[in-house]
Amino acid sequence: MTSVPANKQQASADPSRPTVVVSGDGDKLALAGALVIFTLAEARNSLKKWSKQGSSRSLDVARLDSLDTPGALFLCGLRDKGVELTGVRAEHRALLDLVCGLDLKPLPKVESVPRWRQIVIQLGKGAHDARHEALDVITFVGRAASWTVSAMIHPHSLRPASISRHVAETGIHALPIIGLMAVMIAVVIGYQGVAQLRPYGGEDFTINLVAVSVLREMGVLITAIMVAGRSGSAFTAEIGVMQTREEVDALKVMGIEPMQVLVVPRVIALVITLPLLTFVADIMGLIGGAAISQFLLDVSPTQYLTRLPRVVDGSDLFVGLFKAPIFAFFIACIGCMHGLRVSGSAESVGRETTRAVVKSIFLVLVLDAFFSILFEKLGV
Amino acid sequence: MTTRTKAQTEPILSARGIVNRFGKQVVHDKLSLEIVRGEIIGIAGGSGSGKSVLLKTLVGLHQPDAGEVLLNGKTIQSIGAAEKAAQIGVLFQQGALFSSLSVAQNIMLPMREHTALPANEQEQIAAMKLALAGLPADSGIKFPSALSGGMVKRAAFARALALDPKILFLDEPTSDLDPIAASGIDALIRQLNDSLGITVVIVTHDLTTLFTICGRIAVLVDRKITVDTADKLMKSDHPWIHEFFHGPRAEGAMKARNISHGN
Repeated sequence: MTSVPANKQQASADPSRPTVVVSGDGDKLALAGALVIFTLAEARNSLKKWSKQGSSRSLDVARLDSLDTPGALFLCGLRDKGVELTGVRAEHRALLDLVCGLDLKPLPKVESVPRWRQIVIQLGKGAHDARHEALDVITFVGRAASWTVSAMIHPHSLRPASISRHVAETGIHALPIIGLMAVMIAVVIGYQGVAQLRPYGGEDFTINLVAVSVLREMGVLITAIMVAGRSGSAFTAEIGVMQTREEVDALKVMGIEPMQVLVVPRVIALVITLPLLTFVADIMGLIGGAAISQFLLDVSPTQYLTRLPRVVDGSDLFVGLFKAPIFAFFIACIGCMHGLRVSGSAESVGRETTRAVVKSIFLVLVLDAFFSILFEKLGV
Repeated sequence: MTTRTKAQTEPILSARGIVNRFGKQVVHDKLSLEIVRGEIIGIAGGSGSGKSVLLKTLVGLHQPDAGEVLLNGKTIQSIGAAEKAAQIGVLFQQGALFSSLSVAQNIMLPMREHTALPANEQEQIAAMKLALAGLPADSGIKFPSALSGGMVKRAAFARALALDPKILFLDEPTSDLDPIAASGIDALIRQLNDSLGITVVIVTHDLTTLFTICGRIAVLVDRKITVDTADKLMKSDHPWIHEFFHGPRAEGAMKARNISHGN
């Protein structure tokens, strides 16, 4: 084995890059340059065969300019295999002694579970978690309800400042987006209605379709989903951050019940705002319906207004608005519940926020399906 | 040999005329600092004196409003990512370990990005860094959330050392630690400085750390910096520096220094 310029190409390309050169013959080789983490792979490749050959080999490291800990580890490995290191510089000796003296154990391997067992385990965990989640939700909703009712009975424990702040944040600030969404959803339903009903010559019924679906379902549903994503998540994040900074514990130590000061004002605020937002969404949806009628059906806004009382009545409005406070109660409860569940770390705030939004939207849809069946049976 | 001694006295990092402003508030006013190769230097200062901003400026995370930071004579902004990673290691105050990676994966991340080493070799090096930082090998597969405060600092040390940096910045390495763990970290810093020759810059309030392991102390006061040995700073007549080095806590720390220096 003769001179092996391990890293010649790169060396000529970039002079600032460290290089290592192996030179010499037979059992005696010499290293020169820098044996550092960036050149380790090359040095190892050049010495691979040699280090396995026979005995009484020696490696001269006197011309090694720099050596770092991975390089020293490599030299220690060679020494353990019976290679004699000669000409070790004084400044490298301390490093070699330190690294060679370390009691190194390989990193333990993480036990891997076969795929099919992982699926079984996950299914079991999922079922177990779902049961506990359901129990948690029921317990928390019950506690929140009882605290809210007791706050109603003892109005001095209500916190009007906190409630009004949350009303502003969850309600007034949400008005533009909710109004816009309601118009959009009316436009979407209107277009689909016209397209589907025109072949039967029934495109005029699009007005009925838009008005009824907006008032009964879409207005409240869009609002609830928007509020769950906007305010439910904000509740989780706010309370979660308080939880990570131990503010919730500070409240408890002061003898103040977090349910009373953190949960009840949010629940009450959302129960106030969601019906109002729903009403706005209903009005905006009907305005969207008027626009659709004008552009697609040539029905003027005045005609639209005179037709409206004939296609919808108070019960349609009532059905939508009735659901709003119930949705609001659940969205606020789920948001607060997950906020209080945050444990210490900042990443759990993100995790709980995601869960809160998913769970509250899921619950809203489940409740909505339940109400649809209920009102159908009641004939409302 | 002459070239080596010259290299040793040359500053590895120098900050010149650093000005940092936030709105109208001037935090640093044309301060200059030279860090000598192989030394342990402590940066001290009151809360809000801009220690952390200075640290961020020195490692190139913060662009100062004026002035420049030179690492080995090159401005820090002009140094490429891989070279910078090989030159500078930073231990952040909270450790800043990536929570989605195990400790060993945390240590291997810079190696994976900047070297062509095979995985088994990276693991071997990671195991060595863990041992250097005084952690058992089985902590390598643990996730940062499962570590105690002292172990987080040690794991973060191991990661900061991943590419064998020439200069190591430590932000409050002993804060939030019990005295035993803190002394362990002090000993670790000194050992790394002795055996690996790493230049260490410590930002700290911990007087014991400042007195026992720092060769020089840079005190940030009045938007400027005063650098000297602890003994000379103790004789300073600047009121804040005097208070800092002669308060009741300083007395205790001085005792620790005398014990550790054996006199």
